[in-house]
Amino acid sequence: MTTVDTPPAPTAPAPPASVPPSSTRRAPRTRLGTRRRRSALVWALILAGPNVALLLVFVYRPLLESFYLSTLQWNLGSPVARSIGLGNYVAWFNAPSTPTVVTTTLVFTLATVGGAMVLGLGLALLLDRKIAGRGFARTVAFAPYVLSGFAVGILWLFMFDPRYGLVQELLGLVGLPSPQWYTERPWPLVMVIVVYLWKNLGYVALIYLAGLQSVPQDLKDAAALDGASPARTLWSIVLPLLTPTTFFLLVTMLLSSLQSFDIIKAMTQGGPLGSTTTLMYSIYQEGFVNGRAGYASAVATVLFLVLLVVTAVQMRFVQRKVHYA
Amino acid sequence: MSHRPARRTSRRRPLALASALAAVAALTATACAGPSVGSSATADDEPSEAIDWSQVEPASEITWWSNHPGQSKAVEEELIARFNEEHPDITVNLVTAGANYDEVAQRFQAASQTDELPDLVIASDVWWFRYHLNDQIMPLDDVFEHLEADVDDFQPALYADYEYEGQHWAAPYARSTPLFYYNKDMWAAAGLPDRGPETWAELEEWGASLTEQVPDGGSTFGLSTGPSWGAWWFENMIWGHGGQYSDGFDLTLDSEEAIAGGQFLHDLFHSSGVATLSADDAMADFSSGLIASTIGSTGSLKGALDAASFEVGTAYLPDGPAGGGTPTGGTGLAIPSSKTPEEQLAAAMFLEFVTNTESTAYFSQNTGYMPVRTSAVESDTMKAIYAETPQFRTAVDQLADKARPQDYVRVFVPGADALLNDAIEQIVIEGTDPKTAFESITPQIETAYQENVEPYL
Repeated sequence: MTTVDTPPAPTAPAPPASVPPSSTRRAPRTRLGTRRRRSALVWALILAGPNVALLLVFVYRPLLESFYLSTLQWNLGSPVARSIGLGNYVAWFNAPSTPTVVTTTLVFTLATVGGAMVLGLGLALLLDRKIAGRGFARTVAFAPYVLSGFAVGILWLFMFDPRYGLVQELLGLVGLPSPQWYTERPWPLVMVIVVYLWKNLGYVALIYLAGLQSVPQDLKDAAALDGASPARTLWSIVLPLLTPTTFFLLVTMLLSSLQSFDIIKAMTQGGPLGSTTTLMYSIYQEGFVNGRAGYASAVATVLFLVLLVVTAVQMRFVQRKVHYA
Repeated sequence: MSHRPARRTSRRRPLALASALAAVAALTATACAGPSVGSSATADDEPSEAIDWSQVEPASEITWWSNHPGQSKAVEEELIARFNEEHPDITVNLVTAGANYDEVAQRFQAASQTDELPDLVIASDVWWFRYHLNDQIMPLDDVFEHLEADVDDFQPALYADYEYEGQHWAAPYARSTPLFYYNKDMWAAAGLPDRGPETWAELEEWGASLTEQVPDGGSTFGLSTGPSWGAWWFENMIWGHGGQYSDGFDLTLDSEEAIAGGQFLHDLFHSSGVATLSADDAMADFSSGLIASTIGSTGSLKGALDAASFEVGTAYLPDGPAGGGTPTGGTGLAIPSSKTPEEQLAAAMFLEFVTNTESTAYFSQNTGYMPVRTSAVESDTMKAIYAETPQFRTAVDQLADKARPQDYVRVFVPGADALLNDAIEQIVIEGTDPKTAFESITPQIETAYQENVEPYL
């Protein structure tokens, strides 16, 4: 990080900000322009400085440090470590558990993001209608999103109890036996996916609702006049107009799903038999439970790169494809 | 009018900004020291100067990180108050540093190399050795000798658990063993003698008559698995078949005897039908009368006695064909090595106090954990309790008759407990052949040993 330019020469008076630059006097204008640009730069740094400082200390420094740690064989808490270059990455790619972790992460991510998008849109369409108690319904739908993930996990754990829980009670009403939610694969993974969906649905619905309300009424009216059915209007008018919202949600949901931790920690601790261990959870498991701080940092770097690529691809896609004024 | 102030500020601000940036840079450089990196992972083994404890004055304030095992926060506060009657000059700050042993340990690891370390910390059976490998705790022998702590009065098996290379790295505090719990009402209804089965074979024999006593969906014997749990009770079964997880640090999971232990577990669930897996907590299933018997920790005894509507029986863990044995567990307390001698001395004085005869009896009677001193077991307080609730006595007797030190790999290799539990879950949940299950975790345990233990020994 470099420091700022030298301050402007004290002898030259700065013009009042309101005076527009003259187009006839070329030379002074350039000089004044330079000075103003400098002054703008200084102001930009002053205003952005505190945030930049926080980012540097609490985001970029740990990030770089984590890259560095990933090259060490370091037992967490130990005063000494050994430099092993890319050894941790090689170990991760060859670990017998890696394919399982990657598959679990993919299933969890696709199910939670896909599910939340589809169900969230449906919920938004419902809440967009002029029904009684709409405000209340919206609040209720959004509430889970602001709850603590850990508390949500603990409560749902009670409800999923295969012997005494509410879920087995409900399944019993329609004559179904309760799956062994805690122990029998793949049910534990299904369970955490359901809870994650429940918690995040309200957020997706809220954002979609805002998107729906910005769809111009006259377009819908015109479609109706042309004899389009509601389904057809949704498919050909509303959904295309919602693409910016969809892409925004896709990015944010994908990022938060890949980073989700609290619900898994509260409900299954990555088990049984590692069947709910996602990439994110394996970082915690390796680093804090198994004490392999260097290895965990390597996995964290892998996750970071995945997130970076996902974000970059989506940003490009968003910029190219989404231009509805 | 606007020119001069504007210029003055624009001259000063870059300076302020530069100094702010310098501050950030300084923070960035110094905030985290991290480990020192060498070509080998071994710490400098220069023997630290022995401290002459008689020349040290105890510090006036110490901090104790605990998870209050067995919901003992009020008990621990009372112990501190009693300590202060004797030593009013030493303030003890009790900090809730986690909800269980693992959380305290993770916090302790993360805080190492900072100034935020406690003076006394919970050190469970699977964690204290890792603290030691990382040079995070000090040996207690010298300071206990200076304090004239009666270490010979500690229950030998419990104090020996913390011994490595001739020194003790923690003192026993909240210690437990697994117990065989049975429903006396069902036992009587099935016409069985009022005792636990002496062997696993006997339990299987009894299974037929007990099955008639349990409600639908229940079973003769229920178990739950999980980290810090499954690989603990399974030690009894693998030992009972003459096997063990490891001999020293050498894995012996491929031995015939170990596999026989695994096969026994497999058949218990999948052939004889005696056992079922409890979805969450086997103790809850037991207390509600769904299962006729289970294995639970000593620390669950008080809760089970309170929760059950029937009479709770406790017994030794059953033997296998090659005998048996019980592992011990629970937690001790350790003193960080990086604190000043003054703080360490004060912490040792407090540690000596909370593990003395009277304190450990008080702690035991309020939690169900075992008294850690022989003299406490024989004390009038405990005798009265044993007379009133004989179930409390089983763990202490079992300790004397059956305790066996845990296999190194489970307690000394980071992450191995969870991996062993994985193999146990494969056998119990999925019916995997034990040889396959053990083979699946062997490479990972070997890696963990090579990376996290061997270089530090």
